[in-house]
Amino acid sequence: MQIVKIAFLNIVFYSLFISFSSFAIPALGVLLIIFFIIFPRRQTMKRLRREISWYGAVIIRILPFPLVRLEVKDYSKEPVSAPCLFICNHRSASDPFLLAVFPYEIVQIVNIWPFRLPVLGFAAKLAGYLSVRELPFEEFFKRTSRLINDGVCIASFPEGTRSRDNSMGQFHGAIFRVALATKIPIVPVCITGNEKIPPVGSPFLRPGLIKIRILPALTYQEYGSFSPYKLKNYVRDILIKESALMDQNK
Amino acid sequence: MTQEDVIRMTNEVFADSFEIPKEKLVPEANIFNDLGLDSLDIVDLVVALQKKFGVVIRSDERVRTIRSLGDIYQFIATINKEMNK
Repeated sequence: MQIVKIAFLNIVFYSLFISFSSFAIPALGVLLIIFFIIFPRRQTMKRLRREISWYGAVIIRILPFPLVRLEVKDYSKEPVSAPCLFICNHRSASDPFLLAVFPYEIVQIVNIWPFRLPVLGFAAKLAGYLSVRELPFEEFFKRTSRLINDGVCIASFPEGTRSRDNSMGQFHGAIFRVALATKIPIVPVCITGNEKIPPVGSPFLRPGLIKIRILPALTYQEYGSFSPYKLKNYVRDILIKESALMDQNK
Repeated sequence: MTQEDVIRMTNEVFADSFEIPKEKLVPEANIFNDLGLDSLDIVDLVVALQKKFGVVIRSDERVRTIRSLGDIYQFIATINKEMNK
């Protein structure tokens, strides 16, 4: 029965994915060209990043529903205003799409491989997504600081690579150094349940419930005295504790 | 400087610069996988070690081969011996 469900989910999802993308990407592209002609660059970039979020929201919320469902819980003490830094754990290739749940203009810090995806990789480059492994730290610092000054939120998966056993990998600290310099709020985001949506090394989705918890933001007043090393491990510990609770359905 | 001095002073650098608990500071600890340092932390570490031991190691190619805390103890001891020759 489970195999039938998986087969059904993947046939329906990928059929809809191809159909939707064949329509949406050219349509959004045309819209973007019109924007490029009419509006200033800054406004066009904002529109492009929001378009990517809309596209991601459809891919993750609508196309696989109801066999893949999404539960988002916001534990913020108060609404976070942009710009801020989202720090997420990383278990699945679907994680970047899940950031579509945030109603902000976001630039993601990604590994090299997303840029190699056909069409989506081009869109990511166009939107100014940053490939941290290909940039010297000084250049990475300059670009992220400029984005933050423009009011853009940054989303990062500081483990750098997907976990294969649900354990939390060590964090890379570059983005935390940017946070300390720019003093923006840090929002830990814990994602569980998508370990097999899809599993590492496979394109096939499994039915399941993806849970996202948006945790209270850390303000500069709270973390400003930390070293970059202490800050990255402080946020890592928050995510380790939360993901353990979420894995136990608490 | 004895090997014990090298170990104690190196551990002080890790405790002061990174606030790593003493129980984690064992020779076999991998500085990347176990202690969680990244390439930028290594730059901070090299600066702190240079200050602590009064040596110049930033441009030393042997730094690149360091993986564990034990490697650092060994490296610092070797540098000290070379300086005292």
